[in-house]
Amino acid sequence: MIARLILGLAAAAPVPTVLALLPMLHLAPNRLVTGTPLNAATALGPWLWPVAGLSALGLGLLALGRGRGVTLVAGLACAGAASMLLIGVGAGASAALANAPPAARARLAAGAWIILILLASAVTAAARRAALPGGVPMAAAGLGGLLAILGIAGHLDALSLAQELQARRSLLGHAIIDHLALSCGALLLALLATLALGSWRRGRGAVDLAVSGVQVVPAIALFGGLVASASALLGALPALRGYGFSALGTGPALTGIAAYLLLPLWRGLQAALRAPDGASLDAARALGLSPRQILTDLRLPLGAPVLVGGLRVATVQALGLATLGALVGAGGLGTLVFDGMAQFAPDLILLGALPVIALSLAAETGLRAVEAAARRRWPQ
Amino acid sequence: MSRLTPAIGPLLLGIVLGLSSHPALASLLVVGGGAQRPLALGRLADLALNHLALAGTGLALVAGLGGGLGLIATRGRFAALRGSIDTFAAFAQAVPPVVVVALALPILGFGGPPTLLALAAYGLMATLRGTVAALESVPTEAREAARAIGLTPCQILRQVELPLAAWGLIETLRTAFVLCVAVTAVGALAGAATLGTPIVAGLQNQNFVAMLQGALASAALAFLGDALLLAAGGLLRRA
Repeated sequence: MIARLILGLAAAAPVPTVLALLPMLHLAPNRLVTGTPLNAATALGPWLWPVAGLSALGLGLLALGRGRGVTLVAGLACAGAASMLLIGVGAGASAALANAPPAARARLAAGAWIILILLASAVTAAARRAALPGGVPMAAAGLGGLLAILGIAGHLDALSLAQELQARRSLLGHAIIDHLALSCGALLLALLATLALGSWRRGRGAVDLAVSGVQVVPAIALFGGLVASASALLGALPALRGYGFSALGTGPALTGIAAYLLLPLWRGLQAALRAPDGASLDAARALGLSPRQILTDLRLPLGAPVLVGGLRVATVQALGLATLGALVGAGGLGTLVFDGMAQFAPDLILLGALPVIALSLAAETGLRAVEAAARRRWPQ
Repeated sequence: MSRLTPAIGPLLLGIVLGLSSHPALASLLVVGGGAQRPLALGRLADLALNHLALAGTGLALVAGLGGGLGLIATRGRFAALRGSIDTFAAFAQAVPPVVVVALALPILGFGGPPTLLALAAYGLMATLRGTVAALESVPTEAREAARAIGLTPCQILRQVELPLAAWGLIETLRTAFVLCVAVTAVGALAGAATLGTPIVAGLQNQNFVAMLQGALASAALAFLGDALLLAAGGLLRRA
């Protein structure tokens, strides 16, 4: 009993501690410098105590509670605390900027980020614990919706990140579409290559060596090498330029990303084909199944979870690697990240990085669910 | 000798790649284009040393922290944490290294520190997960038998679990090293002087020879380190 009480108190403690120790906002004269920190009392004003109380309650209940009802209440408390924090820092930012010159910016500081991450993970943990169907995606959608509502209602307008978003709304949309196109294209290319390589029975060992060798080469080096060799090829055969070939752009990016995706896909395919044991294969042959039937009725269903697992790793890698595509001029969210790094504007970096993280997490969670469903549908 | 065979391939590949990053050879590889300025040998060596130092520090950091945490997580009384560690590791890996470097930039400034933070943040979960998997792969029977003959938990760890998990631990170190070399190359974007620097600079001003040199040299570094760790693993396997 006492141990559980201590556990609950320990879980409730982090948010008030962060509120007391770390700054919530940075107030800077322009978008490029860090500026002076504002502590929680100044930044949040009247919202300080509700945020502290509600998040301590939510996290404590989450650590203590066992039942579904308690877990749901804890999740709702955490979501409420997160939205109050956002409203509070939004109001604090606009109050701080009220008498400042127009170039001044108020950006979220370490404390606010830590609390937001803590509360968001608490909400997802509560959704998982409550074991409602579709709980985690619903929780993620709920948090996203909350953010959208607060943003549209104008509570966040004073924050620097929202101002960067305002300035680059259409650019961000294009970047996300480019990013997705680049990742999906590379994934498709790698899938086709894996299937082609998979049908080449003899060269299995060589393919194995080659695809794992690629992993050892740093991504930035591979992109560089691809651009260099493409330019060498174009130098030797200038006629290719006429057909629209170029040393920079989508071509090398797609090839480079796809090269890294070969390993998870190849391993997944090989493990999937080896999934049925010898006895089931013998039984299938004894029943008179043709090799094609064995493939479609036995190997693929039994190997489906492993195959989806490989696809999951490859998709997450593709979304991450597509960020580097901006280096070779292929566009995508990396453009925003690298622009932000070049200008040393932290909020521009965040504007590019947050969608990358969100996309990767969504892909990871979604495909993990598919993997689990495949495992339930075709148990080993 | 046969224990060292798996290391020969990466070693030879590393040597060949390293040699071809020499200014004279690399300029031969790129045809055409008047504005190709190869990187001088001394500068390349400086960058390679710096790269190795950063990646090595990162590896030490990550191996110490990740290995230690992995060791703790596999002790019986923390078994409840296993699920959360796996989920956490999967999510941490979902954040690409460029993004970690980029996010660390405003906090830590340009140069080595953001690169090291990215190395730690990105490599920690890989080593943690690998260590846990390696130690979990030790058969329960071996552990039970050791306990039955009266070994203390500390002795079980030293004499049974670590030797049996050695191969998996070396594999984890190999992954971590390759990861460290790759992330250090990305660190060039944050202004760290590594082998990624000629690649990034070469991409910006179309200097393909320097770019190729950087690419070849960092790939060589990764393969050589891989060979070293494979050889170490082969020697350990003797038991």
